[in-house]
Order: sequence, then structure tokens, then C-alpha cells
Amino acid sequence: MRRVLAIATLSLRAAIRYRVVLVMAVLLLAAVIILPLVIKDDGTARGFSQIILTYTLTLMTALLGFATLWLSCGILAREIEDAQMQMVVAKPIARWQVWLGKWLGILVLNAILLAVTGAAVYGLTLWRADKLPPKELAILQNEIFVARQSAREELPDFDAMANDIIRERLKSNPMPEGLSLPALRNIVKEQLKSKNSLVPPGFRNQWEIYAGNPAKIKNLPLTIRVKVDPPVPGIETWFQTHWEFGDPNTRNQFQTNLLVPGELAIEFKIPANLVTENGILQIRMDNYSEKAMLFPLEDGLEVLYRIGGFGPNFFRGLVVIFCWLSLLAALGLSAATFLSFPVASFCTIAVLFVCLSTGTLKQIVTEGGIIEVNPNSGFADSPSIINQVAVPVAKALLFTFNLARGFSPIDSLSSGRAVTWGELGRAIFQICILLSGLLAAIGMLIFTRRELATAQK
Amino acid sequence: MTVLESKLAPKVTPSTENVIVVRGLTKIFKDFWGRPKARAVDNVSFEVKRGEVFGLLGPNGSGKSTTVKMLLGLLFPTKGHIEIFESSPRHVPTKSRIGYLPEESYLYKYLDSDETLDFFGNLFDLPPQERKQRSEQLLEMVGLSKARRRQVGEFSKGMQRRIGLAQALINDPDLVILDEPTSGLDPLGCREVKDLILALAKRGKTVILSSHLLSDVEDVCDRVVIYYGGKIQAIGTLNELLAAPDQVRITAPILPRETLEKVLQVIRKDAAEDKIRIDTPTQNLENYFLNVVNKARAAEAETSGATSGNKVAAYLRGGAEEGAGSKSRILERLSKAEPELAGPAPLVNVTDVQEFQNKKLEQLTKNEEPVPTRTPDQSTEKTKKVELEKANEKLSGLLGKPK
Repeated sequence: MRRVLAIATLSLRAAIRYRVVLVMAVLLLAAVIILPLVIKDDGTARGFSQIILTYTLTLMTALLGFATLWLSCGILAREIEDAQMQMVVAKPIARWQVWLGKWLGILVLNAILLAVTGAAVYGLTLWRADKLPPKELAILQNEIFVARQSAREELPDFDAMANDIIRERLKSNPMPEGLSLPALRNIVKEQLKSKNSLVPPGFRNQWEIYAGNPAKIKNLPLTIRVKVDPPVPGIETWFQTHWEFGDPNTRNQFQTNLLVPGELAIEFKIPANLVTENGILQIRMDNYSEKAMLFPLEDGLEVLYRIGGFGPNFFRGLVVIFCWLSLLAALGLSAATFLSFPVASFCTIAVLFVCLSTGTLKQIVTEGGIIEVNPNSGFADSPSIINQVAVPVAKALLFTFNLARGFSPIDSLSSGRAVTWGELGRAIFQICILLSGLLAAIGMLIFTRRELATAQK
Repeated sequence: MTVLESKLAPKVTPSTENVIVVRGLTKIFKDFWGRPKARAVDNVSFEVKRGEVFGLLGPNGSGKSTTVKMLLGLLFPTKGHIEIFESSPRHVPTKSRIGYLPEESYLYKYLDSDETLDFFGNLFDLPPQERKQRSEQLLEMVGLSKARRRQVGEFSKGMQRRIGLAQALINDPDLVILDEPTSGLDPLGCREVKDLILALAKRGKTVILSSHLLSDVEDVCDRVVIYYGGKIQAIGTLNELLAAPDQVRITAPILPRETLEKVLQVIRKDAAEDKIRIDTPTQNLENYFLNVVNKARAAEAETSGATSGNKVAAYLRGGAEEGAGSKSRILERLSKAEPELAGPAPLVNVTDVQEFQNKKLEQLTKNEEPVPTRTPDQSTEKTKKVELEKANEKLSGLLGKPK
């Protein structure tokens, strides 16, 4: 352990002596302090949170992310190129320990920078919040400066439902011409999704949401968050609605009429103790307007309730960001084990962009391939080798990327949702242990097997 | 002469235990596509015994450093087999017995001397107290105790070599691999390094010395291997390789002309006139330079650079040292002006010695008076002083005034 710590300390010393820490700290602090001053918020609580929390935290993550990639590539590749590594590996230290020491060094550095910048953002947020009008400040305290648990309706298994429907229909009807089975399955699936989220004019929709353990949410007022998409995006639309909460067979119900705006999330409170003994909250909504309402599957309707304060939530959010940075450090270090510094930096940044823009991968999976996609149906009709390889590869990459992307601490913090301990544990396991571990294993293996004396300048 | 002095110092006889075994070692560097680019080492085999100072000699690019790097596991052999302490060069625990000084100072420029030694000490898992103690002794030994807080990046090449040497010895290694250890060092530093190598060998340590400087190898090595084009061209002890079996050299103090004539007459009976040579040996520049520096040191001239190493670190001297005549004083002893160098002595070269009868040789030496210990009188001392000062001025002009 002494050896690993010696390497970690050396990496930290390098960062400090080459003034990387100082420059990064100044840059980060300047970014999180100056940005909110330059971009004026609209005086509302939500505008405030958007600028102070979303923008600054996103900028901080981006800056730290790129710095981490650059530093991790440099800290190993440069030492190999400048041959200092020859002196190190000639000593009784295993190469995997060298890798681990470098990784730990970068993690400590990230932890320091994240703590300083995070503390600045936190302090600035609280300080600026006092300047909001009292009404907006109250909204801020209730909706953003809290850690709220979010509950949504569990989505049905659209794939299984689509398969059932197709199987039934094919019993009596022939397969439609020019459509492959996967293409047909996708069409049916999309229809099911639309049906699930669409509420036509004059229609009623029902949700059954598991809000949580009834004992834990007893006497706790619940917040309902609604977000509706209009049929045509961009048009200012309002929907007249009627809502009922609670079991329709009992008298324990709450009803209200509400004018819901399009494209903008609204929140309203309902009384406590409306859930069933199983913790289920039944919700019914009538669309009295003349237009169809579209509830996005991900965040159309949510039940929220307070489970903690903003401070600990902010801390957990930062730890999730730290997990991302640890993954980037592992990526950079592993690339540097076999690539020169400039090539490793370029490659890792390219990987980062692919990981951030998963649209293409999703499209490959949805369309069933890359080539020969039928423009009419939007699906690859005929099976080809390239498509047969591309789809599983895209699926595997998507799955891998989503292990890291499936967390949204910045969104959660700026909308007052809780980054729960469970979520944090999952982030640590999926990002720090599974993904970073995989990259570490690859990096350590390559580093152990490579000749180090051939790379020097 | 220093060389003579060094070689006369009692040395541990190399044991029969092999520290390094190299068999059929070949290294072919390949390009990106796996096509052979250069055959750096070609079917090389040798062994190094415990306690030996083994020299790898050869011109630049002959495969010395490649061999050293394969011994350290930094390069992998294309063919062949290497064993160090009966293990693979890539076996991590074995590396705790090895000290390595690369051909360039691949040090961390942002660390100071203390931090550098502390870092490498940590890699050997040495406890803090031991690291501190050894660092202090090593810095003292390599003459950098006054520069312990200066960053290595600010050091001159020679100072970097010194700190590199110190880090190679922090673990009190059983095997020391030194790649061009004297490159960039001033003559004083070179001498100290050579003394250190001898001191290590005396303690039973094995030393591998790779160099293209013949004097380095000649002064300290027991056995050498000579590389050219990646192949071993010659291997053996220095005596085996350098002895000229058909010549003999007699060294004596100044002799009266008549005595000299008598000696020549005796020799002429067995050797042809054109094969006999008489000359006066001169001291070499290295020794002269050391005299000048020692003089300056005695006058306590200040220097901002590396000072001369004072003594071999205590932990490197070990217990065996005491019995064998304090090795810690080797540097002092060797850097002092040596009596036999003080005055020139005639040199007689006799060839075709096969026919030279041992009996006559004995007789000749018996007839000679015992060599008196030279105690320079005042006039010669004065002349020497003037000469030294003149030469010192010349050197100062050439090398710059001491700071």
C-alpha cells in the first residue's frame, strides 16, 4: 500500500508543482461565480435554479471532466515517453500498482477541486436565494431546496405486449408486405406507447402510482408534478382538467380543477393519507379541453414528497459527479497505457462524445441496422451481415454507456428531487466499480504486458 | 597510481553463485506492422557471479543498453532466456534486490533531492525512519547534502547523475546495474563513482557496468564482455583480455646513467635492441586534475554545485567493511596525491620475454637497491607548486574559474 500511496502522492505533487491545481481551481471558481452574474435569471424560483444550479453544475462537471481526461492521459503517457516510468517499474512495484496509484492520485485531486467548487456553488446559491421576492423564495424553499422522493407509474412491458398483439393478429391475418417482424414489432410498440401517454379530448386517464411505504408517508402532504406536451410543439396551449385522487370506492378522496399549461411542468399539493394500505395513490384525470394531452412517459406525472434537506442532497449529487470523473480518469489512464499523450487525449475525448451522444446508437437499435433502412417504414427490412453485427454492438454499447448515463444528479438537484443513498450506491457500484473496474483491468493488463523502454523520445 | 591502488585493495573473490544467467538472448525491434527493424542483441550468452564487477563494453548502439533493459524487464527478449537471482526479470519481489541507474537521468524534475530519494525509498517499502536516514547518508555520499531542497530540474547533468546514483543505492541492493554511470560527471565525480563500485564489490555486491568509456571499465571491472553489432565479440577477465604475454615492464625510480647502462647490457643479451624502450612515465590528466581540486578544497573554496562525496553511506559500508580496512576512507585515500606519482621513473620495455630467463630477472631485482619512499625535499616541493599553479591557471582558463 505504501508503494501505491507513493505513486498517488507523486501524481498529486506533479499536479501541484505544475500549477494544474491552482489553474483549475481559479478557472472553476471563476466559472461558477462569473457565469451566474453574466446570465441574469428571470426572478422566478425556477429560473434561478436553472441558472445557479443547472448551468454552473453542468459547466463545473464539463470543465472537470475534460481536465480529468487530459490530466490522466498526460500523467501516465508523458512519464512513459520521458522514461521516468523506467525508473519506477525497475523497483519492486507491480505495474497494476502504478496504474492504481495514478488513478488514486487523480481521484484525490478531483475530490479537492470538486469540494472547493461545490462549496462555492452551494454558498453562492444560498446567498443569491435571499435576494428573490418572498413568493419565489417560498417556492424555492419548497420545491428546490429540498430532497424529494419521486414516484412514477411503473411502465408496462411494451415489448411483451407488442409480441402478444402481433402473435394474435398473425393467427388470422397474413404478415404485411414489405415489413420485417422486428419492424412490425417496433410499430406496434410505438402505438402502445402513444396510447399509454395520450389522453384525447373528453377522455379520462387513470394512474396507479406506488408512492412509498404508507407508514413512512403517513401525514405527509404529497406534491403532484404534471408536465403535458401539446399535440403541436411550440404553441402556447392550456388544458382545462379535472383531477381526482384516492380510492374511488371510499370517501377518502380529493378533487380539484386545474388549468394545465403545455410544455411547462407545474406542481400542486394534495392532502396527506390518500394512499391505500399498499401505498398506492390512485389518480384520475379528465381532459375537458378540446385538444389531446400527451403525458411524456418519463416525467409526465410524478408524485413527490420531502425526504430530506438540500445540503445532504447536494453532497450526494456531487458524489455522483465524482463517480463520473473517476470513470473518465480510468478511461484516460487506460488509453495512456498504450497510446502517446496526444493520441490518448484525442481518442478519449472522442469516446466521451460518442458516449454523450447516444442518439445514433439508439437509432441503430430502433431501426434494426445501419444500412438498407427502408425510408418508408424507417426500418431495415432485409437482414445483412453489417446490420446483424451493428445492432448487438450498438445494444451492448448503449447498455454500457447507460450504466454511467442512467444518473442525473444535476437535474435532480435543480428540480428538488432526491439523489437517494440507494441511487448513490448504485452509481458507485455501476460507475466506480463495474465500468471503472473494467477499464482498469484492461489498462493494467496492457500496461503490464507492454515494453516500456521502446517509447522514450 | 590510483588504478594500482584500487586493484591492490582487498576484494571479495567472486563466488561461484550465479546472480545473472543469460542464454541465447536476442532482441529484434519491430515496426508497427511487426516487420523486423533492427537486431539490437543477437544470441548473447553470459553469466555474472556474485561479487563480480562485470562490464558491458561496446560502442554506441552496440546493444549494451538493450541488454541492460532486458535484464530489468523493461524490454522483453525476442528469443533467449534471462535469470536474475534465479527468477525472471519481470518477477516483482526480485527487484527489491536490484539498484538501477539508467543512462540518462530520468528523474522527476519537480521533486527536490530529498523527495526524490524518499519517493524511491517508498517504492522499496522502506519505513520512514530508514528512508530519512539513508537519504541523508546518500546525499552526503554523492555530495548533494547542500542541495537537498533544490528541485532536480535545476540540477546540472552531473548533479542529476549523482542523485540518480543515490536512488539506485537506496535499497542497499545486492545487484547494482549502472548504465553509463560516469557520463556527465566531472573527473572527481568519475573517480568517486569508480571508488563506490569497488567499495560495493568489496562488500560482495554484484555490479553490472555498461559503458563505452574504456577507462571506466578497465579501472573497476573484473570481467568484461565486448559488444559490437549486438553480438559478443570478446568475453573474459581483464587479465585474460589485456595481458601481453610477450612483454614485461619494469618500473624504477631515477637511476644513475651507469646503472641504467648495466641493466640494458644485461637485457641486450636476451632481447634485440629495437625491442627495448626506455621512457619516463607522466601522470595522467585525471590524477593531475584531482590534485588541483583537492588543493582548492583544502583552501575551502565555495561552490554552489555538487561537492565532492565524503564517504560511502554507512549502511552501504556494512559490517564487512570494518575488517577489510575502512572503505569509507577509500575516497579520501584515492583522491590524495600518491607517492609514486610524485616523480617520474624510467620505464623499460622488454619484448620477446619468452626467452627471458626467470633466474636472470630475479638476479636483476636483487641487485637493485630497495625503492626508497619518496620524501620530496623543499626545492622539488617548490617547483611542483609552481608547476601546479601554472597548470591550474591553464585549467581555469579552459574550464572556467571555480565558483
